[in-house]
Amino acid sequence: MSRRAPKGEYIETDTGNKVARKAILVGTQNITLGGKTVIQPEVMIRGDLSRSSASSGGSGSGNNTAISIGRYCFFSRGCCLRPPGRFYKGHFTHLPLRMGDHVFVGQNSVVQAATIGSHVHIGEGVVIGEMATIKDYTRILDGTVVPPYMTIPSFSIVAGRPARVIGEVPEGGHEAFELRELYKTVGNNVQPAPA
Amino acid sequence: MFAGEQAELGKPSDTMSSSATTAKRTSTVPPASAGPKPPVSFSSSVTIAELAVLTGTYPVAIGSETVIHPRARLESLGGSITIGRRCIIHERTKIGYMGTEGKVVLDEDDRAVVLGDYVTVEVGAVVEASGTIIGEGTVVGVGSRVGRGAVIGKYCTIAPQSEVPAGVTIPDHTVVYGENKQRTDRRGVAASMMKAQAQQITNLRTKIPSNPAKFQ
Repeated sequence: MSRRAPKGEYIETDTGNKVARKAILVGTQNITLGGKTVIQPEVMIRGDLSRSSASSGGSGSGNNTAISIGRYCFFSRGCCLRPPGRFYKGHFTHLPLRMGDHVFVGQNSVVQAATIGSHVHIGEGVVIGEMATIKDYTRILDGTVVPPYMTIPSFSIVAGRPARVIGEVPEGGHEAFELRELYKTVGNNVQPAPA
Repeated sequence: MFAGEQAELGKPSDTMSSSATTAKRTSTVPPASAGPKPPVSFSSSVTIAELAVLTGTYPVAIGSETVIHPRARLESLGGSITIGRRCIIHERTKIGYMGTEGKVVLDEDDRAVVLGDYVTVEVGAVVEASGTIIGEGTVVGVGSRVGRGAVIGKYCTIAPQSEVPAGVTIPDHTVVYGENKQRTDRRGVAASMMKAQAQQITNLRTKIPSNPAKFQ
């Protein structure tokens, strides 16, 4: 994190990421952002829970990425991303959380998935259990609880506690997942929306 | 939280209202995190992240090999907090007395909360104190809420986003899920889950830098 005098609410990196100063990023050396990603205030990302094979230190240049995020992702206020933990060959270890492009995570959602594809919309107050896999073009409605290890196929609409596939994304509904416009609406010097 | 406090503080508001300029001075209220430092008794093998928050006046006791993640909040404002051995308290959890509708009333007697051994409190869960007891090996899921005075038995599972109402007693091996539904866990995996918890703690201890001295 830069130590410049506070200027705006967000820190904007060269690759276009907008990270709120009030976001809580733990273990930043293990977090990879693809670029053009927005992290709003009060978001918590646990990069410190990295894969344990790389000894106790965790620092340095090893490939112990805990969370890797694609481009144009949007993390709303109060959500939490943490790598899933599981038993592998008799030992407990955390596995990396991988996320594609154009992933939206709503307010106060907790994501502990293993893999999230591209163009995924996660609503408010959603809990995604450990090691879940979510494929491309999926919409998860508000308040859903996705159980651990669940796999959600592409183009599904998911809701409920526990989560169930309740429908399919209609044909032509794919543009709704684009987050390029949403990206432009936050930041320190927001451009006015095109007329 | 502050709305209630200000309503209390601002009782002589009728006399103050004439000088409208003084009404702006609300920023003098200390931030929420600033509170009294509770007396603590940690076991020497506790792992507590520096970003954890402990406030209150009553004692906080934490048993051996317990892990407290960053941003967990333990508030012993109205009663003591006792956490057993080998518990995992995840980030953004709140344990303790939260006040009644934003107001802190300290007239009632028992605001304690007791967590047994091998208890897991997952991300964003809230455990309200008032003689609340959580039994050994119980898991309180992500974002769920345990009401004040609830007594939860051993090896229970509170599913994510569910609620245990205040004052309710839940028997051992119960799963609370969905809209207030319950069933009994007949898998009989308590022993292996406890073993898994111990392994998870050994793993977490290498990752979370512990700083118990900050709280002592």
